[in-house]
Amino acid sequence: MVQPPLFPVTVVGSWPRSAELLRALRLKQDGDITADDFNAAADAEVLACIRAQEEAGVDIISDGEQRRDNFYSFTVEKLTGMRLMRVSDLMDYAKDRARMEEMLRGLDVPSFALRNPIVVDRLERRQGLALDELAFVREHTDRQVKVALPGPYMLTRSIWFEGLSDHAYPDPDDLAADVVAILRDEIIALRDHGCDFVQLDEPILSQVVFGEESTGTFMCAALPNSRDPAGELEFAVRLVDWVTEGVTGIKTGVHVCRGNWSRSEEALLTGDYSTMLPYLARMNVDQLVLEAATPRAGEMDVFSGFDGGKEIGLGVVNPRTDDVETPEEIVARVKELLRYVEPHRVYLNPDCGFGTFAERNINTREVASRKLQAIVQAAQQLRVEYG
Amino acid sequence: MAEERDLNGLPREKLTEVLESFRDPDVFNAVTGPWKSRVVWQDGMRARAYMRNHQVDMDEPGDLTATDVAASAHEQLLSAIGSCMTVGFVVNATKQGVRIHDLEVAVEGYFDNIRKWAGVEDEGNPGYGRISAKCFVRADADEETLRGIWRVAVEGSPVTQSVANATSVATDFEMVG
Repeated sequence: MVQPPLFPVTVVGSWPRSAELLRALRLKQDGDITADDFNAAADAEVLACIRAQEEAGVDIISDGEQRRDNFYSFTVEKLTGMRLMRVSDLMDYAKDRARMEEMLRGLDVPSFALRNPIVVDRLERRQGLALDELAFVREHTDRQVKVALPGPYMLTRSIWFEGLSDHAYPDPDDLAADVVAILRDEIIALRDHGCDFVQLDEPILSQVVFGEESTGTFMCAALPNSRDPAGELEFAVRLVDWVTEGVTGIKTGVHVCRGNWSRSEEALLTGDYSTMLPYLARMNVDQLVLEAATPRAGEMDVFSGFDGGKEIGLGVVNPRTDDVETPEEIVARVKELLRYVEPHRVYLNPDCGFGTFAERNINTREVASRKLQAIVQAAQQLRVEYG
Repeated sequence: MAEERDLNGLPREKLTEVLESFRDPDVFNAVTGPWKSRVVWQDGMRARAYMRNHQVDMDEPGDLTATDVAASAHEQLLSAIGSCMTVGFVVNATKQGVRIHDLEVAVEGYFDNIRKWAGVEDEGNPGYGRISAKCFVRADADEETLRGIWRVAVEGSPVTQSVANATSVATDFEMVG
């Protein structure tokens, strides 16, 4: 296994899907082709994704989430008790349809294009959430492998929907214990099957902290209307700690960003890490994988006084832009963080994935490759200076 | 025997036959009108419209002191525009043998001068001055074909064109009792 050097370069997870793969995904979801047929088509795409990362020089690679509908809805296929429901289906159950309409208008998407996993019965782990993804990528690379999983807070908060979930889990918080157990078992299994780095995605923490009462994303179906950011952040810390407690032998991380569904910066959330960081710093994980290239994420001085021995996976390229950041720009951004964090604790990655949602590639493969290459070149310059 | 609904939930062959029959003057006269709605005041700002054997309730938002138990009439106008275009899209897609998986039309409008409705100004148009509609579709056809179907649906939509062409509305009045 190739061990990563100083300033390891990695990804957040997703890679743009091809039109052919997207079509195959829809055929599978409609029951027109089997999962095996789909996986045969996806294998070639994952291989291309692996090669693209290797050729760019990425040290810790992912499978590009090519087999997933999106970064958390894929859990429907892996767990009992879940249904993948379109927002158009949820409209019939929603108490605040006007809010959902505003969300759809804001995203400029049809309700049929957004799919949310909804819990409709008691959850059980039917098979590994990502063990199949890991097995394939492990077989085809000698690089270290990262697997992203939906975080326990996001899953707990996003899959409970009144009118559909309450007979199985009368209170949304009842879900937490089952979600935590499933994720904990998964991380241990991933470790035992050769995964090097597991990343828990918690993007809706940004919604909790930065979201307006009147706005929402389809991911926060169950976010309480009268939100209590401090209480929700504390709940998130508790759930992450519960998942990772005592788990060793695998690097763990938590990823936070401000949305990755649109190339319109105005459509995404804005705010620095000052409110969130004290909570993130307490989470029992090795690394915080943080969006930081977009100006919407604020400045690096928020890390002044940051401690806790954690690594920072610093977002140094914006996955949603056509312009490719220069290595010099990336180096300058990293040096801002190095005022507060030691070099051996800094990893470099994009702000988020390049295709978080299957139907919404937010960049082309060509631009994504060039952005990864720019990060690698920046890492090489930093290694010369700090190695 | 039940009709075979073989495409988009419609009997394609029968549908084509029915549409072709519009060339017949008798059929044309029958479907031209009159189309009817009777609207009966219930209470507050609530009204109920009766159309053939159907009924639809209308109300106004609570902000206007109404009870907001149903959508308002002007919102239902937007819905009628979107629905009419939706039907037109499905009909034309079905005629062309195009299978639709998902179809959605998002409509929105802005009043020109709602102060006239409120009675605080005398001039201006209280109606929608701008209405826009966006079609989202997932179907088994190329984009050019689908854009063509959408264009035909818009141009052939009776509701949309009634609004777009500013159809005259003749009104009458009678005091009873």
